[in-house]
Amino acid sequence: MTTQDWNAIPDEEFRRTIADFCARNIPAELRGLPNRVSWVKAKPWYLILSRAGLLAPAWPVKYGGMGLSPNKHIIYLEELDRAGAPQMPDHGLITVGPALIMHGSEEQKRKYLPRILSGEDVWTQGFSEPNAGSDLASLRTEGRVEGDEIIINGQKIWTSWAREANMLFILVRTNKQVKKQAGISFVLTHLPQPGITVRPIRMIDGRDAFNQTFYDNARAKLEDVVGGLDKGWTVAQSLLGAERLWAGSPRHALKFLAVLERTAEAAGRADDPVYLDRHAQFVMDVEDLGCLYRRAANSMGEGGRGYEVSMLKIWQTELSQRIMQFALDIAADAGALGLGAAPEDPLAILHSYIESRPPTIYGGTVQIQRNILSKNVLRLPS
Amino acid sequence: MSLATMNDGATSERAEGLRLLRDSAVQFTARSTDHKRTRALRETLPGYDADLAASMAELGWCGIVVPEAHGGLGLGVSEMAAVLQELGKGLLAEPLVSQVALPSRVLTLCADNALKGELLPGLAGGEIKAALAWQEESGVIDPAAATTTSTGGAAARLTGRKRFVAGAAGAGGYLVTARAGKDVGVYWVEAGAPGLAVEQQWRADGTPAGVLSLADTPARLLAGSSASAGLAQALDEAAVMVAAELMGVLSQTLTLTLDYIKTRVQFDHPIGSFQALQHQAVDLLILQEVSEAVLGEAAALLDDPDTPPLERSRMSSRAKARLSEAGLRVTREAIQFHGAIAMTDDCDVGLYFKRAITLAAWLGNADAHRRRFMALGRQK
Repeated sequence: MTTQDWNAIPDEEFRRTIADFCARNIPAELRGLPNRVSWVKAKPWYLILSRAGLLAPAWPVKYGGMGLSPNKHIIYLEELDRAGAPQMPDHGLITVGPALIMHGSEEQKRKYLPRILSGEDVWTQGFSEPNAGSDLASLRTEGRVEGDEIIINGQKIWTSWAREANMLFILVRTNKQVKKQAGISFVLTHLPQPGITVRPIRMIDGRDAFNQTFYDNARAKLEDVVGGLDKGWTVAQSLLGAERLWAGSPRHALKFLAVLERTAEAAGRADDPVYLDRHAQFVMDVEDLGCLYRRAANSMGEGGRGYEVSMLKIWQTELSQRIMQFALDIAADAGALGLGAAPEDPLAILHSYIESRPPTIYGGTVQIQRNILSKNVLRLPS
Repeated sequence: MSLATMNDGATSERAEGLRLLRDSAVQFTARSTDHKRTRALRETLPGYDADLAASMAELGWCGIVVPEAHGGLGLGVSEMAAVLQELGKGLLAEPLVSQVALPSRVLTLCADNALKGELLPGLAGGEIKAALAWQEESGVIDPAAATTTSTGGAAARLTGRKRFVAGAAGAGGYLVTARAGKDVGVYWVEAGAPGLAVEQQWRADGTPAGVLSLADTPARLLAGSSASAGLAQALDEAAVMVAAELMGVLSQTLTLTLDYIKTRVQFDHPIGSFQALQHQAVDLLILQEVSEAVLGEAAALLDDPDTPPLERSRMSSRAKARLSEAGLRVTREAIQFHGAIAMTDDCDVGLYFKRAITLAAWLGNADAHRRRFMALGRQK
């Protein structure tokens, strides 16, 4: 199955193939879960996809991916969503893998790509710092070259799954003499290791999926720099387009729309004229987002500049927030019940409401996206 | 040659044709845009410049959606939309939809061959103008709601009142919807027919819309109970064409606005350097891009002969709702960006603002199309 030319299959047949596979293979206990699941729980499904050659839709075939066209990739994601497939720790698949494929040496690809596909390596990301959020290029964690090693000192934040991962990709400053974007390197290393301390961060949704990580003479090998020393900003930038395309997918808004519909149903408001009017606008906003998404995905496939992806991210994330704001209104008193206080009450939607908040922040806030578009597309003066 | 490569060949040939058509519309708009003329034409009949309309006919644009068998180019919504989008930028699109494309599609989809042969070649060549009279109540976009009555079968007599008839001025005849019992059919009424009175009301932009009073007016039946499917399709297509013109109106307004805020200096800086304005401008950019993506999918979907009617109607309503809302928003915010100057009649922004109001309402505004979209049921 791994050597199949998926793109030659007609769309509807491909859709059925993926749907059938999901129907037969997603473990029952992993279906339709509201949150990302831990690696330990996700691993069986990860390996099922891997063995079937269906794990890496966007990777080229020669690296063990499916090599899907943008259009087929969208179908693939739609069918996994429809089947309730779990969201897994996937930095290896969607971040490190593509970074290596685009910028890695042959040796790095040979070493790391198969271990991502086999589930042997679980990756975590060390990008943001307490003083380098949207302004990522001002990061200060230092990477000092010593012989064939890089010695890392500093701290990172929002390091997801740092307690489950065994591998870390991290942006470090390897040159302080040049302008800030030009002195950053993209480095791979392993964890846990003596110089790395992980401290979980409790979030307002009560979970602690994120961490702060502290580096005190942590070590990486010089040969594990991706894309060349001081060239890490280019590598990181090339990943942001894909991240924003992901953030702009209508699948997120569709999920929130389903929450709104369930909430209105449970509250007996489904036929209320105020609800119907706003619901109609949301439905059409989500469908129209789909048009922009398909256009952006195809334009990325053709090597476009990717500014559409910033637009997509703004539209999707703010739409999802408007949907959940309305859902919280409809949920009324029950919507204000604490997390986990009424697990059987369909109106206790605080969790989803909170979940709609961070997407306008991570991966570059929507305000920064507007600055980018203002400068680079509208060419407005600074 | 395999079927797939043949299709690819046809597709790329069509894309090339589309590009040529768009290019000629770009040149026409650059050459012909003249807002001194736009202002002079306001509240005059027929509401457009006859010489420009003749030039459009010479370029073949009147025949874009007319079948080749009847002297047209036999092309689709995509081609018409490409031309209208460019003309919309110069406020030059009248009377291409109201007097040409919409009546041509109603005739093509509803009439018998005799009447098609009589009227379509003239419409395609620009010698004949017609208008569709289907609405009676403000905000009602269901053709089945017609209360105008028809008696007497094929040689019918119509009685009733039609409103919001764009392109009524200067039309040689009218396609009128009327009810015979349960069925709403389409009839052809000659201009000047006995019992027909046509009054004009000025729309927001100074173009006319007719009010037709029919009192036992002789009419020729095009299609009775069978008319509804063809009429629905013609209106779906025309709504996307109007959406395309709105696309041109809003994108040109955004261009004018960006040019203005890059050069207007206040507090010693171009006002476009202020972040509050930059972010608002980006929101209009996003709206423009979403609108264009929706319009593109709508035109392609309506041109696909395999599209089921229900899906076609849904998509048409989405496109008209999106573009109506976006057109209104971009043009009204453009006034705010310009400040007080845009409230004067000398500023071109006002012309675009009023054209957007006119087009947003024509063939159903955003509210009407949202209702219709939801009534048709969601996809999947």
